[in-house]
Amino acid sequence: MSEPIEPQAPEGAPEGPVGPYVYDYAASPQRQIVLPKTVPLPSLKTYEAEVVAQQAADEAKWKKMQADYEVAKAKAEAEGKDAPKPPVKPVPRKDDNDMKTPWPQVAKDPDLLRLQQLLGEQVEEIFEQAGELTCQVRKEALHEALRICRDDADLKYEMLADQTGTHYPAAKEFAFSLVYHLTSISRRKRLRLRILVPEGFEPESACSLYPSANWMERETYDMLGIRFKDHPDMTRILCPEDWEAYPLRKEYPVVGLGQRDIDFREDRGGVLMRIAMQKAGQMGINLKQPTAD
Amino acid sequence: MFKSEELEINLGPQHPSTHGVLRVKLRLDGETVVSCTPVIGYLHRGLEKICENKTYFQGQVWTDRMDYVAAISNNLGWVEGVEKLFGIETPRRARYIRTMLTEMNRIASHLLWLATHALDIGAMTVFLYAFREREFLLDLFEAFCGARLTTTAFRIGGLREDLPPGFVKQARAFQAIFPERLEEYETLLSENRIWKKRTVGVARITAEDCIALGVTGPVLRAAGVPYDIRKAFPSAAYAEMDFEIPTRPEADTYARYLVRLAEMRQSHRIIQQCLDGLPEGPVMAKIPKILKSEVNEVYHAIEAPKGELGYYFVGEKGGVNPYRMHVRAPSFVNLQALPKMIEGRLLADVIAAIGTLDVVLGEIDR
Repeated sequence: MSEPIEPQAPEGAPEGPVGPYVYDYAASPQRQIVLPKTVPLPSLKTYEAEVVAQQAADEAKWKKMQADYEVAKAKAEAEGKDAPKPPVKPVPRKDDNDMKTPWPQVAKDPDLLRLQQLLGEQVEEIFEQAGELTCQVRKEALHEALRICRDDADLKYEMLADQTGTHYPAAKEFAFSLVYHLTSISRRKRLRLRILVPEGFEPESACSLYPSANWMERETYDMLGIRFKDHPDMTRILCPEDWEAYPLRKEYPVVGLGQRDIDFREDRGGVLMRIAMQKAGQMGINLKQPTAD
Repeated sequence: MFKSEELEINLGPQHPSTHGVLRVKLRLDGETVVSCTPVIGYLHRGLEKICENKTYFQGQVWTDRMDYVAAISNNLGWVEGVEKLFGIETPRRARYIRTMLTEMNRIASHLLWLATHALDIGAMTVFLYAFREREFLLDLFEAFCGARLTTTAFRIGGLREDLPPGFVKQARAFQAIFPERLEEYETLLSENRIWKKRTVGVARITAEDCIALGVTGPVLRAAGVPYDIRKAFPSAAYAEMDFEIPTRPEADTYARYLVRLAEMRQSHRIIQQCLDGLPEGPVMAKIPKILKSEVNEVYHAIEAPKGELGYYFVGEKGGVNPYRMHVRAPSFVNLQALPKMIEGRLLADVIAAIGTLDVVLGEIDR
């Protein structure tokens, strides 16, 4: 008679006092949060500064190569050896593919220039990238900018197609960027209005100008936790009402909070889960139910 | 003897005519709808969060699961959005095949809409007729990419494979039968007295309200606004195609039915042009195995069967995943118009209004 086989814990399961079949929340690789270190906010100013810095770095490197060459040459002459090869200026590597990275460009579109003319100081930046127009305004001037876009006879952006935000935990002056994608049906044009808001700032709701912003702003609140001022119904829309975290923030883990303890990917047949539940039941322990924290 | 009392009822989330897990809170006065609040989120899977942690190639698979009856349209939006982010130029043959498949998918989606909408209202026969043609199209998708619904049909930079042998012949066979099949549906419905009573003048919404609420697609066009992204911001090979934007001025359920039927005819025209003018050449652009983005953001929208489907990407320097991905789902925005359509109308019109909006809950909740 063979010994009854003890069920084995899945490979790579963390050891600990929790028990062999119950997964440790904190140790799960899907729970590890890697916060971004950069701020990928597209901007013409940043790009130009980067280009200038890159050119300066290239120039410095080239100068250093030349200086090293002079030193090596003098040394070789002094020792009576052959002179070293002169350095070759490095050229950017050519890629043989069909990609042409769209870099930010100076705004030439009449819509952007018109907006800058009307809003003046309120406009922080205008640029074009990948054929799309972006206008970044000060966060207090959002409502005015939207109103001008809708009502001005030269702009006439009738429809708010999309509204969403992005979380930038690495940035110091702001925490979120909010984008409004406007569409002009009559003129067949699109425009992106952008504002940067810090944590806790409540931007004004666009509902009074574009009623379609209602659900979009609710979704932004639900996912990122940005509340909008004067919104008719600032409640959660996709998550349950009692959900506490904001899933699309970067500090939220991929495997969401409140999911089950057992890693079911390791346990396709559900054997381990059943045994774990059984054992826990015999010990009078109710396995932790999924909660919404 | 008569007393008036308002009654609050739930339509859904488990109701066959809500096409998924849509819950509508209704306040009724007798049979009249006083107020209506759609409640969504029962199918929320956190697709945007998932895609932020997948590479650009892996994320496309998840788009199939949004609007599962028009997966090819979702794929088209994703791959073109990513191509715009990286500045990739796609070969012309690939763009033609993409256009053709997307239009086939539009017909399949509209057929499913017609079938279920008619079934909701009480016409059973159309359901069986429409599914017969949809099956033909799904077989074509299966021949092309091996899947009927969750297709992942395209690749970033073009297509994984060229058309399989015999595909063009089968597509032409479909083209030959489809116009007369469309006429069959019309004979069943267009002059049907019950159908007209249930749809004419029901769930009206004006063009101004549509634009203010962001409603796009056939609902907007049935209100008389000729706005179609295939014409306004052409992508794929739509700029080279000759087709019209069908519109109706009535803005009711019957007008939307007519617009969608006319759209199927236009799609049929586009497929014919793609088949006739299919250029020779490669189907895949030269792109690196690993795509690393620069700092960039794009919003790319295409005309999905339900309306404007937009993808918003933010790229990180050297990142292989999108830093931020957002989907502007047409059904999500269109559903906002539901209270405007049915408040003050009868309870039976709610079913017609949900059907005519053509919502898919997988796309609304994402």
